[in-house]
Amino acid sequence: MVYLASLAVAAALLVHQVTERWEMSLADGLTIQVPPPSEEDAGAVYSARVDQLVRLLGEWPGVGQARHLGPAEVSALLEPWLGEAGVSQDLPVPALIAVELVPGAAFDLAALTAEMRGVAPGVLVDDHQKWLGDLLVLGQSIKIGALVVVLLIIASAVTAVVFLTRTGLAIHQKVISLLHVIGAHDSYIARQFQIHALRLGLAGGLFGLCLAAATILSAGAWLRSTENEVLPDLALSLGSWSVLLLLPPATALVAMVTARITVLRSLARMP
Amino acid sequence: MVRFEEVSLRYDAGPEILSRVSFALDPGSFHFVTGPSGAGKSSLLRLLFLGLQPSDGRFSLFGRDVAGLNRDERALVRRRIGVVFQDFRLLDHLTVVENVALPLRVTGQKGQKIHEHVTELLSWVGLAEQLNAHPPTLSGGQQQRVAIARAVIARPSLLLADEPTGNVDDRLAVRLLYLFEELNKLGTTVLIATHNESLVARFSHPVLRLKDGSMTLERAAYATSSSTAGTAA
Repeated sequence: MVYLASLAVAAALLVHQVTERWEMSLADGLTIQVPPPSEEDAGAVYSARVDQLVRLLGEWPGVGQARHLGPAEVSALLEPWLGEAGVSQDLPVPALIAVELVPGAAFDLAALTAEMRGVAPGVLVDDHQKWLGDLLVLGQSIKIGALVVVLLIIASAVTAVVFLTRTGLAIHQKVISLLHVIGAHDSYIARQFQIHALRLGLAGGLFGLCLAAATILSAGAWLRSTENEVLPDLALSLGSWSVLLLLPPATALVAMVTARITVLRSLARMP
Repeated sequence: MVRFEEVSLRYDAGPEILSRVSFALDPGSFHFVTGPSGAGKSSLLRLLFLGLQPSDGRFSLFGRDVAGLNRDERALVRRRIGVVFQDFRLLDHLTVVENVALPLRVTGQKGQKIHEHVTELLSWVGLAEQLNAHPPTLSGGQQQRVAIARAVIARPSLLLADEPTGNVDDRLAVRLLYLFEELNKLGTTVLIATHNESLVARFSHPVLRLKDGSMTLERAAYATSSSTAGTAA
C-alpha cells in the first residue's frame, strides 16, 4: 500500500514541480507571433516589420527585453513535434519574438497589442495565461486524483489493520483473557498489539518505499533514455523525496493507532 | 474481604446459575466450594475474579462495591486476586519462569528482581529444575504447580482455585492443598472450588455447598442463601 501511495504522491509532487517550473519561466514573459509573410510581402519588408516590432517592444514601459528568435531557435522549439529534420523552407512559420517583462512593473497589454497591430496586422500576443491556466487546472486535477488515491489507500490500510488486529485478537484470545484476569490494564494489552502493528507498518512501509523509489528512478531513467523532448524530466527534488520518506512512519502510525483503537474496543466488551 | 448479597447470575436469557446467593469471606479465611458438576462453582469463581457481572444483587471485594468500579479500578482489584484455573491456562510459548512472572510484568516490574523472586518461588513449589521448560513438556502436576506459582507470585490477598486437584493423583492433591494451607497461613484468603468430597473431608475448613443455584454453608455460621436461609450451621 505504501508502494501505491508513494507512486501517487510522487506523481502529485512531480506535477507540482513541473507546473511550478513552467509557471516561473512563463509568468513574466510574452510570446509575439508575427504571421508569416504573404506572397505579396517581400522578405525585406517582412524583416523590417519584425525589427520595428522588436524596437517598439524594447521601448514599451514594463518590457525588460525583446528578442527575435532566429531560425535555429525556432527549429529547436519545434523539434519535439517535427523531429530533428527541422523546419522545411517551404513551411510557413511565423516569426517569434520572446519578450521578458520587468517583474512587478505596470504593463498595459491591450495598448501594446493595439500598437503592434498597427505595425503588423494579424500579430498574435500570447501572455501564456490561458496555457498556464489549463496547465494549472491539469496539475490540480492530478494532485486531487493523487490525494483521492492516497485517501483510498489509507482507508484500505485501516480496514486491513482492523481485520488483522481482530484476527490477532481471536488467535491470542487465551493470552488476552489471561492478561485481563491477572490485572493487566486495557492499555497494557493494547500496547502489545500496537507495538506489533507499528513494527509491521514500519517494515512494510520501508519495503514499499524502496520498491516505489526503484520504480520512480527506473521510470525517470527510461524516460531520459528515450530522448523524449515533450515530457518533462521525472526527477524528484530533495524536498519531494523527503515527503516520500514520511510515508512509512505515517503508515506505521496509522497502523498503530488503528490497532490500539480496535483492541480497546474489543476489550471494552470484556467485564 | 468478600461479601455477596443476594447475588444472582444467568447467562443471557438462560436459567439462573446462581440464585440470590449470600455469603462472606473474612480476611485470612480458608473455604472450599463444593457441589456437583454444573452447580455453578466455576461461575462463582468467575464472578469473584471479575470475569462476569452478576445479573442481580451486590457484591463487594476488599471493602469496595464492585458495581462502582471503573475499568482501571477493576484491573487493580484483579491484581489482588490470584487465580488457579482448572485448565491451568499456561502460555505454551513462554517458559515456566516467564509464565510465573506475568502478573509482575503487567504491573510494570522489570529486570533481575523479578527473576530472583520467581526463581525462589518455583524452588519452593519444587520446580527449580524446570525454570526454562515450556509448559507442554511438563507433567500435569508440574503444570499445576506452575499455575499455582503464577497465582501467588504477586502475593494476592485472595486466592481462588478452580478444581486445582482435578488433574493430579490423590497424593499430589493432598500435597497441593497443604501448599494452599501454607499460603493461607501467610495471610492469603483462600477459596477452593472442588467436587472432590473425599479430599474436602480430609481438611477441617468450612465448606460452601452449591446445589441448584443455591448455597449452604457447612462447618461455619455466616453463609446464607435465600432458599436455604437458616440452614447454615
